[in-house]
Amino acid sequence: MSAKEMLAFREELSRQGILFCYSGYITEEVLSSIGNTLKHKLEIDKTDKRVSRGVFSLFVEQVQNLIRYSAEVESSHQSSDQRSIELRYGLLTVGQKEERYFVACANMVPNRDVAHLRANLAKIKEMDSVGLKALYKEILKGETPEGSKGAGVGFVDIARRATNGFEFDFVDVDSEFSYFFLKAYI
Amino acid sequence: MDTIKIEASERSPGVDFDFAGNIFSLHGESYPEDVSAFYGPLVKALREYLEQQNGAEITFNFELVYFNSSSAKVLIGLFDLLDSAASDNQVVVNWYFEEDDDNMKELGEEFGEELEKATFNMVARG
Repeated sequence: MSAKEMLAFREELSRQGILFCYSGYITEEVLSSIGNTLKHKLEIDKTDKRVSRGVFSLFVEQVQNLIRYSAEVESSHQSSDQRSIELRYGLLTVGQKEERYFVACANMVPNRDVAHLRANLAKIKEMDSVGLKALYKEILKGETPEGSKGAGVGFVDIARRATNGFEFDFVDVDSEFSYFFLKAYI
Repeated sequence: MDTIKIEASERSPGVDFDFAGNIFSLHGESYPEDVSAFYGPLVKALREYLEQQNGAEITFNFELVYFNSSSAKVLIGLFDLLDSAASDNQVVVNWYFEEDDDNMKELGEEFGEELEKATFNMVARG
């Protein structure tokens, strides 16, 4: 990218209200450092504490989704006594536009997961707060779903925290992957 | 059982498990990198201790300001353990929250609903 292209990119981010943008291999260390910086930024802006807590919470859940589930993954194959390194690629943005904060993330997912993810998110999106609370409890108390690396309750948590709702989409990439996008508002 | 004391870090809560005094506390933020690695040994120690108690007065103070959804799964397990122990012991669970934090208040109420035998108190802090 040339300086001109970088500036155009920077201006596009500004137009979208984006305060933080990270595209690359994302790890727990990245979560910690961007998370802390985000906390400082919200403090400087004197953001209402309730809003700040919500934004931070959306940030953590969404970034952990990237770290755990992005299908764009590279790993080192080390001998069994060493911890293997795994890096997953994701795109993260946090911003503020028209009085709302948002956290938007995108990552590759295998095509075979799209129908299930879409149905799950559509179901959650339609639920009211009472339904979400019940589902949250049900998942917490149940067995961790197969293939989940966390509690499997991340999307429900995001839906509950996103006081101004959330949106999601999938874009076809190739025969193997789709691009998954999730944007939650506070 | 020896006391377990862990200082709070940026991402994991401070832990005070005083087995001799029957007082337990988790305080701070909870979004550890590896939830199982952090909480696994704690839950195991607590379970072993609770199995040996009969007629004890046990207090557990939850003083968390934030926890992620993976931690929530562990917390609900702790509530379950404590409520089971309340069959043979007097168990008090205190949920501390900052008074302007509606979310932690709501979560406290929701977790508290899980307790049938243990005494549950919500404690607002200014």
